[in-house]
Amino acid sequence: MEQALLALAAALAIGLPALATGWAQSRIGAAGAGTLAEKPELSATIIILVAIPETMVILGFVVATMILVLE
Amino acid sequence: MIIRMSKVEIVGPKGRLLEVLTRLGEKGILQLDDELFPLPGKEPPVKALLPDKKTLAERTFFLVLQEEIKELLGLLPAPPVRDGYLAPLPVIDVVAALVKKHLPLCREWNRTREVLGRELQELSGYDTLLQTFEPLLQKAGGDTSLEFIGVTIKDPALVERFRRLAAEETAGRFELETARTADGALVGLIATEKKMAQRLRRALSDGQIPELTLPKPYSDLPLAERGAALRARQQEVEEELARLSEEEERFARRWLPIYRRVLHWLTERLALLEASAAVFETGMCFYIQGWTPAAEVAPLRDDLEGRFRGEVLLSELVIREEDLDRVPVALQNPPYFKPFELLSRLLPLPRYTSFDPTTFLGLFFPLFFGMILGDIGYGLVLAVLVAVLLRAWPTGQNITDAAKILGVCAAYSLIFGVLFGEFFGDFGARRLGLQPILFERSQALLPLLYFSLSVGFAHILLGQILGVLAALNRHLRREALLKVLGILFLLLLVALVSARFVPHPWLGDTHLILALLGISLLALFAGGLLAPLELLKSVGNIISYTRIMAIGLTSVLLAQIANRLGGMTGDVFAGILVAGLLHFFNLVLGVFAPTVHALRLHYVEFFSKFLEPGGRRFEPLDRSHP
Repeated sequence: MEQALLALAAALAIGLPALATGWAQSRIGAAGAGTLAEKPELSATIIILVAIPETMVILGFVVATMILVLE
Repeated sequence: MIIRMSKVEIVGPKGRLLEVLTRLGEKGILQLDDELFPLPGKEPPVKALLPDKKTLAERTFFLVLQEEIKELLGLLPAPPVRDGYLAPLPVIDVVAALVKKHLPLCREWNRTREVLGRELQELSGYDTLLQTFEPLLQKAGGDTSLEFIGVTIKDPALVERFRRLAAEETAGRFELETARTADGALVGLIATEKKMAQRLRRALSDGQIPELTLPKPYSDLPLAERGAALRARQQEVEEELARLSEEEERFARRWLPIYRRVLHWLTERLALLEASAAVFETGMCFYIQGWTPAAEVAPLRDDLEGRFRGEVLLSELVIREEDLDRVPVALQNPPYFKPFELLSRLLPLPRYTSFDPTTFLGLFFPLFFGMILGDIGYGLVLAVLVAVLLRAWPTGQNITDAAKILGVCAAYSLIFGVLFGEFFGDFGARRLGLQPILFERSQALLPLLYFSLSVGFAHILLGQILGVLAALNRHLRREALLKVLGILFLLLLVALVSARFVPHPWLGDTHLILALLGISLLALFAGGLLAPLELLKSVGNIISYTRIMAIGLTSVLLAQIANRLGGMTGDVFAGILVAGLLHFFNLVLGVFAPTVHALRLHYVEFFSKFLEPGGRRFEPLDRSHP
């Protein structure tokens, strides 16, 4: 039972931030695509902006790993 | 790095201003600054140099002439011609008169070309239609009692509607044939009796179906002669156009070198006149103030003094605190760092008192890239790719720079691949007996996490130290103090975390926590409510470096999966194909993800600690750019 709860906790720790990251990237991506249509020279900046919300899922991944490894 | 700048003042007799500006434009190392005046101790009579009536008239004359020559050059073809070596000043009036004569001529040629071109286009359109109609006319058998009406049919679905309309108007006494023209349009030819034709034409007009009519001279001709007449005129127009082109080219070959030379001279001259707006004067002297790289001050002084026999003097001035925001910024990097300017160009230019981000990108970007990718096999593939890119584009600036950066990244990937014992994931360990020197990434998650956090701590600490230096450079003591508190906060935090692993005999948790609270309070008093939050932000910045572990782990796990799937096929060739495809996919991700995340760690985490954007780009007086 404990194992199952730990696995569920780890899944939530990475799953929820992954959803949040996806949602944030969809918004930034849409705005970025609009920006690129007018200013193609900003493509590198847009790539960076799209990568910023990935912090959430990366931290989620770390927490999930710690839940599983440090049990 | 940011080049050290000097503030200089150049003084000389007013009569030699234009010569001095010409020389400065040739040297291209001085940026004029008209906002440095008034100088302390140099109250009026030093005032901004106002152009006299003669200069104003000269400038207007040059501007008009420049526009006219530009128009003339735009109207002419550009065959390869020799360079012109004319000295324009003595003959500038003659040139102005010539332009006045040549411009209407060229305009007329241009207008004729346009008219003939339009006619040719129309004729070729009619010709296409006639060619389409010819078989239909032959089918009608040359019956002279019939009238032929040509129409354009926009939609093939309308053919039936059109047929019904014609049947109604002619009581079924008509013949309709359709065909497609060479450009794909659908056209129809109706043959009907002459007495019915008028009614049908009216009905077509009411139904807004456009009738195809030839222009007057051709519509009056018998049908059989129309095609030939059209083609004869087409040939005539083509010959006229060829004659015109020949004439224009002859003219261009004769006059282009002269006009191009004069235009170049005018651009230079106007640039100098423009620059004189940033000059100051007394009764007899001119004053120029500006910025030049410190290393160029002595050579420029010697050059001016030698060239003007001591009449023009250059002296270096002290940069005042209020001048710091006006110092222009020029970056100059050694060959290793130069390609990394490709990445630092994405950022706004730093202030003069700040640091050039290129140096740090050159040092840490490949390091982080290598830590994330860390695979001997992938490193070798990237090295080959770099060699191919450099061979294919030896001089293309951006691609070459990107290839050089990738080359350094490939080297770091190789180094970390050796440290982690990875060659295409676990292939090296399983088949070649490769052993990790540091640790095996897929098995040692916690050491990898601590490693990433340690790298983040060192990087952010460096950022904070640079922040202190940048604040001191700008004489912002309070900001420097806050940065120092930030450093202490981080050090104490690390001490607190490391006490979990190695307990210290006399430094207990309580002491450390009290010290952390004390620092937070000091920050609160020194920097206001947001200052303690700023301290915590640094902790968040360090945690962000765990992406080195996370993305690196993903990369190595994907590589292992590629090897396993390849092994599961049970066939050597299929296995190589499957594993190769997956490794290729992983390598593409392995280049993209580390690049984006290593950049993000710099732009968001590291540079936010010390980089001050808002620098003015160094734009020296260049006589070819007004």
